[in-house]
Amino acid sequence: MEIATHDPQPVSPTGKALRLAGLFAFMAGLFIADTLTDLEIAIGVLYVAVPLVAASFLPARAILLLSSLCLGLLLTSYELTTGGDPAAGPINRAISVIAVIAATVLVLRIRPAILAGIAAREQLARVARVNMLGELTASIAHEVNQPLAAIANSGNAGLRWLEAQPPNLDKARQALARVVSDAERAASVIARVRSLARPVPPHREWLNALDTVEEIIALIRDELARNQVSLSIDNMEGMPPVLADKVQVQQVLLNLILNAVEAMGTTPPAERTLRITIGVAEGGRALFSVEDNGVGLATDNVEKLFDAFHTTKPDGMGIGLAVTRSIVETHGGKVWATANEEGGASFHFTLPTSRTDIP
Amino acid sequence: MTATSPADQPLIHVVEDDRSVRDSLEDLLASVGLPARLFASAAEFLRAEPVEAPGCLVLDVRMPGMSGLELQAEMARRGLRLPIIFITGHGDIPMSVQAMKAGAVEFLTKPFREQDLLDAIQKAIALDRTQRQADAVADELRRRHATLNEGERDVLALVVTGLLNKQIAARLNVSEITVKVRRAQVMKKMQAATLADLIRYTDMLKPRE
Repeated sequence: MEIATHDPQPVSPTGKALRLAGLFAFMAGLFIADTLTDLEIAIGVLYVAVPLVAASFLPARAILLLSSLCLGLLLTSYELTTGGDPAAGPINRAISVIAVIAATVLVLRIRPAILAGIAAREQLARVARVNMLGELTASIAHEVNQPLAAIANSGNAGLRWLEAQPPNLDKARQALARVVSDAERAASVIARVRSLARPVPPHREWLNALDTVEEIIALIRDELARNQVSLSIDNMEGMPPVLADKVQVQQVLLNLILNAVEAMGTTPPAERTLRITIGVAEGGRALFSVEDNGVGLATDNVEKLFDAFHTTKPDGMGIGLAVTRSIVETHGGKVWATANEEGGASFHFTLPTSRTDIP
Repeated sequence: MTATSPADQPLIHVVEDDRSVRDSLEDLLASVGLPARLFASAAEFLRAEPVEAPGCLVLDVRMPGMSGLELQAEMARRGLRLPIIFITGHGDIPMSVQAMKAGAVEFLTKPFREQDLLDAIQKAIALDRTQRQADAVADELRRRHATLNEGERDVLALVVTGLLNKQIAARLNVSEITVKVRRAQVMKKMQAATLADLIRYTDMLKPRE
């Protein structure tokens, strides 16, 4: 499946409309509450939330417009409110107005920094992904060369069956059928690599958890074989679909799997086992676990594992797990690590599913 | 000196975890009239009954479980001397150096030219035939050597170093006549026509490597 849209905005148009509607609902509710409560109660000051929230997804002019609307509402409800101490009214109003104006000015000034932060995070995620692809070049080359080798073999065999006296058409047909299926296999490897490497904007869709896992495994099968890691995947029966960006989830999986493989470098080859478990956690969220029997975790730095530029590897950059956390949290999930009783580490993350109540 | 020459049909062993590569190799070999035995893993190959036919092993480098290079080492440990042709999806130089140093016939990177593989296979089969013949000869010589008695073995050991009968007699503390008699027995039992033959046979009896 191809994702064709190239939207420069980090937030999709629907997401934007939804957020805007939420803001208006908030303003309407605040207006009613402000009007109905007494003058001493300075609920109106909560309008500061409007420019603060709007900053992450609206252009500067729209923020100004919304803030002006807030000021209008503040003053209108002041006129409409009848109960309470008339002396407290003007002071409370003035404080609220100043707060909204101050918040708007501040937001407009720091807004470029917020946007730069968002862009930088996306850029970082992409760089990390391309980095990982670089590390996986050998594996990917192998995955493409396997079907190519098979195609060359079958093609040569097919030619020879045709040249035989008399020609063995049945054998030749079988050889050609294998050529076609191996060519399709090579094409699907290329398609998977491309979808991982392209700078596509986040695109959430309903995913089959097992397919998502197996697709990424197909890309790194050789990496696992080279490191002599045996793999098992446990998938829960009747797993609900997961709402997430497939490429990003695969990046998270890739990251955790490569870490696990690296952690098992000192484990005897015959014992190297990677276990991926797919199940459902509390609240109907999908729970993915990647379990290894490698060196395990040093108990004192479990908390820091996911911090950017924190690394336990001699040549690590400390980006992988930070990007992992960023991706999972952007999806409204959580990521954490646990030590296994019999040695090794497990990394877990959750993602929303069709059974999750979306807050 | 009669050597058994196995003119048997050669057999190619293929150890490759990728099914489509494995199947395509079988078909390719079948199209040139070479039968193949297929294995999906190194362990499967080691478990299989050995076959008394000249042949070679076409071996993938990267496989889950035991890798191709490890299988090569394990075969050396077990004294399995089947010539090996490595095939790999992504070969690096250290890997090929290790394989060739350990006696591989060829190291091919996938996708390889068909002719390169077939040439390597012919070379490997020829090598295996030679090895099997040499083994058969060595077996025969060992059988003959086993018929010598202790005194004859002592004489043989000294004859091949170039000592004269008189010197041998002095070393072994026996008469020169005894040495002559034992020497004649050795020549007869080892079926050696000349001293040069005897020296060559003794050389072939020495353990290889």
